[in-house]
Amino acid sequence: MSKKERKSGETEHSMFSNILFILGVMFKLSPALVIGELVNGIIRILPGRLVSVVGIKYIIDVVTSGERLERIYYAVGLIAAVIIGGRLLTLIYREFFWNMARERLYYRLNKQLYEKAKSLDLESYDNPEFYNNFILTIESSSENISGILGMIQYYVGNIISFVTISSIIFTIDPWCLVIIIGVVLVFFPVSRKLSKLQYERRVENTKYHRRSDYFQRIFYLQDYAKEVRMNNISPLLLERYNDAADDVIGNQKYFYKRIASLTGFQEIGVQGLGFMFVLPLYLGYCVIRKGTLSAGDFVATFNGAYSIAMSINFLTIWAIARFSEQAKTIDKYRGFLKSDFKIKDGEKTAQKTEPKTIEIKNLSFTYPGNDHETLSDINLTIKPYEKIALVGYNGAGKTTLTNLLLRLYDASEGEILIDGEDIKDVTVASHRDRFAAVFQDFQTFACSVGENVALETDFNPDRVLEALKHSGFSKELPDGVDTELLREFSDSGIMLSGGESQKVAVARAFYKDCPYVILDEPSANLDPIAEYNLNKAMMEAAQDKTVIFISHRLSTTVNADRIYVMENGRIIDSGTHEELMAKGGTYAYMFNLQAEKYKN
Amino acid sequence: MRYIPAEEHVKVPVFKNIIYALKLVWKTDRRLVLSHFLLCIVNDIFELYIQNILFLKVLLTIIEGGSFNDYIRNLIGFFAVAFVAKALVWFGVYHHMVGAKTVLKGINNLVFRKALSLDVGCYENPEFYDKYQRATLIMTKGYFDTLTYDVAQIVSGIVTFACVIGTVTVIDPKYLLFLLPVVFVFIIEFYKSKTVYKRDLKMTKNNRTKSYIQRTVFLKDYSKDMRTSNIFFVILKRFKAAIDANVEILRSYGIKLFLYSVVSSLFGEFIPIIGTYAYAGYQFVQRTTMTVSGFSVVLSSINSIRESTMMVAESFEELTQMALYFQYLRDFFDYEPKVVGGEKEAGEFESLEFRDVTFRYPSAEKNALEHISFKINKGDTIAVVGINGAGKSTLVKLMLRFYDPDEGEILYNGVNIKEYTLDSYRNAFATVFQDYKNFAISVYENVMCRECTDEDKALARKALKQSGAWDKISSFEKGGETVITREFDKEGAGLSGGESQKLSTARLFAKDFQLAILDEPSSALDPIAEYKMYENLVEATKEKTVIYISHRLSSAVLSDRIYVIGGGSILEQGTHEELMAADGEYAEMFSLQASRYLGEEVSEDE
Repeated sequence: MSKKERKSGETEHSMFSNILFILGVMFKLSPALVIGELVNGIIRILPGRLVSVVGIKYIIDVVTSGERLERIYYAVGLIAAVIIGGRLLTLIYREFFWNMARERLYYRLNKQLYEKAKSLDLESYDNPEFYNNFILTIESSSENISGILGMIQYYVGNIISFVTISSIIFTIDPWCLVIIIGVVLVFFPVSRKLSKLQYERRVENTKYHRRSDYFQRIFYLQDYAKEVRMNNISPLLLERYNDAADDVIGNQKYFYKRIASLTGFQEIGVQGLGFMFVLPLYLGYCVIRKGTLSAGDFVATFNGAYSIAMSINFLTIWAIARFSEQAKTIDKYRGFLKSDFKIKDGEKTAQKTEPKTIEIKNLSFTYPGNDHETLSDINLTIKPYEKIALVGYNGAGKTTLTNLLLRLYDASEGEILIDGEDIKDVTVASHRDRFAAVFQDFQTFACSVGENVALETDFNPDRVLEALKHSGFSKELPDGVDTELLREFSDSGIMLSGGESQKVAVARAFYKDCPYVILDEPSANLDPIAEYNLNKAMMEAAQDKTVIFISHRLSTTVNADRIYVMENGRIIDSGTHEELMAKGGTYAYMFNLQAEKYKN
Repeated sequence: MRYIPAEEHVKVPVFKNIIYALKLVWKTDRRLVLSHFLLCIVNDIFELYIQNILFLKVLLTIIEGGSFNDYIRNLIGFFAVAFVAKALVWFGVYHHMVGAKTVLKGINNLVFRKALSLDVGCYENPEFYDKYQRATLIMTKGYFDTLTYDVAQIVSGIVTFACVIGTVTVIDPKYLLFLLPVVFVFIIEFYKSKTVYKRDLKMTKNNRTKSYIQRTVFLKDYSKDMRTSNIFFVILKRFKAAIDANVEILRSYGIKLFLYSVVSSLFGEFIPIIGTYAYAGYQFVQRTTMTVSGFSVVLSSINSIRESTMMVAESFEELTQMALYFQYLRDFFDYEPKVVGGEKEAGEFESLEFRDVTFRYPSAEKNALEHISFKINKGDTIAVVGINGAGKSTLVKLMLRFYDPDEGEILYNGVNIKEYTLDSYRNAFATVFQDYKNFAISVYENVMCRECTDEDKALARKALKQSGAWDKISSFEKGGETVITREFDKEGAGLSGGESQKLSTARLFAKDFQLAILDEPSSALDPIAEYKMYENLVEATKEKTVIYISHRLSSAVLSDRIYVIGGGSILEQGTHEELMAADGEYAEMFSLQASRYLGEEVSEDE
């Protein structure tokens, strides 16, 4: 199988290596669970199958021999002990250990993944290939991965049972074993072909389903409800859905014509011809004509044949199909854990001091996968306590500049110095800790208000309330700072409007005790009065900080100490509001456009 | 068994809902139902009865009699049966797999059509929406497939059970004493599953926390906040707490479930298997009539009886849980939209009038709008301004008949808007919403909202130029044929916030509308783009009636009339000059905004 995997070129490691790898990971995280699963796998499967082969044979043989019939009672006693003992062990394991251990394993596996995810470069999200290949796969992987344990349990149980039953049948009559395995092997290519077809079908199906699922979502989700009602677009969307659904149906027809007939062919061969004809024919011949086998042998082999066929079927088709599917997930999981990041820690730890000078020197940056520079040769110096504004068209590079400042990306060329020290020389965490940042696409979390503002579990309630007051947040909080946001977990959680959410996000900047503040469009969702108040509060609260803010509404930039005008990734102008207005450049043009309406 | 997420316990008529759902499937494509029945009955009877029991019984009986020719004849006979059974399965699998998809398509079409007729209010009502989302799980999780499978499984389980019991009775009815207790498994498993359900229900909240945390950690939306703050640790702590709580819940149910399982094994395994062995052993020792073949067959039948009972129990349990989802689906299909159209066709726009309109959102405590009256005439340019939450968007929703007012009436050309058909009335409007959406179809189709002819494309291009989107669109290799989003087209285009807003605005330019409603159409645009869009909007709407909703008062200045909304009422109205002169709410807001542009400081009162 491993050969097949490598040939398909999809995975980096062989299936076997991947399974071993994940077993190793799980063993490290929870050794007792892994061992427990393996042992349980044997106990669950073997006793029942053994009884139905050996137990029956022994009793029938005793009966046919007609001697010392009381031996039957001992046999029955032994059978009872094996069945009851085995089952009780399994149940004790399952209800008192397995359930809980699995939950804990889930935690440990995920914690590992989450920590890795958090340390990924932001760039990983922009790379669609990485995103689809790793992040999306990994996101749904933890359940799959703990599911592998269950598979392994069955796998081990079946291997042991296969070996045991085969040896028993071998001692009865080697030819029977030859027939059983022979039948399965003859049809093995068909099984292989079948699992290949299934795989191809799934791949094709995902493609078509992605389309039909999308149009399905439009009708299911509220996001589109208004748009669909106001534009007569629904016939077109319905048609598109039906086209995609027809493709799914067509694909299903195409593959199942082959899959169904191959399955039928295989089952008629293995089950019909093999186990219902050739094997019983041979057995009947031996029992009736030759008299080499007893009735007990007949029943034992007959039952054993099913048990072996089940094992082989499981070990080859079912398990291999599932394993190879899971091996792919594991492969990505390994790749994900191994993935290297570009943004590396420096050696020093940055100190939270009072604001120092920030120097940006010859900074250029190209987003991975883009062919043009988003920032070109940026030079600017921000003095301590300065309030600077970045203005410019959409896509001018303003947000990118703040991304580089926070080391969410590293510059392709040039450097950023704080107090003369390259920001790459300090650890990423300590560097970012010097900043409070409110992003344009800020998020609120399903946590308490206090946690949402402080972004810490241990927060100071008074300071949280003060920060909220500064940001103009006025919604009533039934449980004070412990009020949960969003209805995600708590039915009493409060839902915030866009404006109120933004105020919570802005409050973070007020709360965090740090020298530098970045605000990306902090007032986009606010009405004029709230915007005005926010600006005023910000300027007051940030007196002892350096503030960098981005805004489209130029009215908010008037009071900035310095305004940088950006266009196509360059700084084309800078100065105070008055200076820039006097120059009559892009800034003055933009400002006048906005101001014009207020001037009459 | 397929996983069905736990929900709060609601009693629903299980049987009725199952019949309802079966009928729905039957009407859509009866193949799915028929093929499931065929598959289950043939598979179960073949495997659990013919192959496991009858085959063994016949062969062993012949072996005891001793004619090899008889033996071969019977073998051939059974092979023929196997052949037919497998051929039927082949036929059934094909129709099942195809039928599942046609049913999905067919029922989705019904759902879509119904969804289109729903009030927008339904989407905004969390309770209704939540139920609707759960009803859609029926489609996304393939519950229709599960349903028909379960029903077929119950029938075939019972049939198999009867066959096996019949055979055993013929051998020796006393064995039923050990075999029939298996039926208790049904009852025990039923109670056990109820307990498991209760346990899982207790874990639902924690599991939701788990998946929420998964989402926040991996989604791009949260990635920046995650990296620049300590929120990750806040979240991780919640994750740990959820896990610990789950472990506690699992622990507290351990003993109960263990006992259930022991009792279930007692009736399902210990009594039948050990009892059969013991009783057969006793008969053999006593040299009664028990034959080797009879003994083997009774032993094999234990497994078949167990399996068929479990099958019925599991299917039954699944059906009980699914019934809730089908209840949601029924509720959804049975929902009567409150906003229904009238008979009249809305004609050319003359006037729109709100007469003493009061409105309260369902389950809200306060009126969203109170005694609103105003009139818009053809050619007017109207601005509606006010602070966040004042009721501006609600006004628009009433105007478009997303909701109907509780009191008062809205008149279009002097006639209550309820008398017009919904399509013709809404068609009079062109709208650009704050939360506009584009679709994963071509740019042209996004603008024209239909399959495009060459003529349409020319119109679309013109509209795109007017909205300022064409510069970007024309830079794509496939131009206006480019599909929006990379969702399922690798050559698709992702648009920035500003660009996609321009694209959705193009829809307005392309539409031959009577009345335009612009709800914050420029929020994502930079100043110059905003200015250009306004110029174009003014140009495109010169002869038309326009209603602007905006925070930015600059857009109100040129309006014929400005309505200032606050607390659900119209506080002020008039032209810009009139309102400035009145020195009220509007004047204050305007001077606040203007002050920054005009370089004056405003007095310090807030």
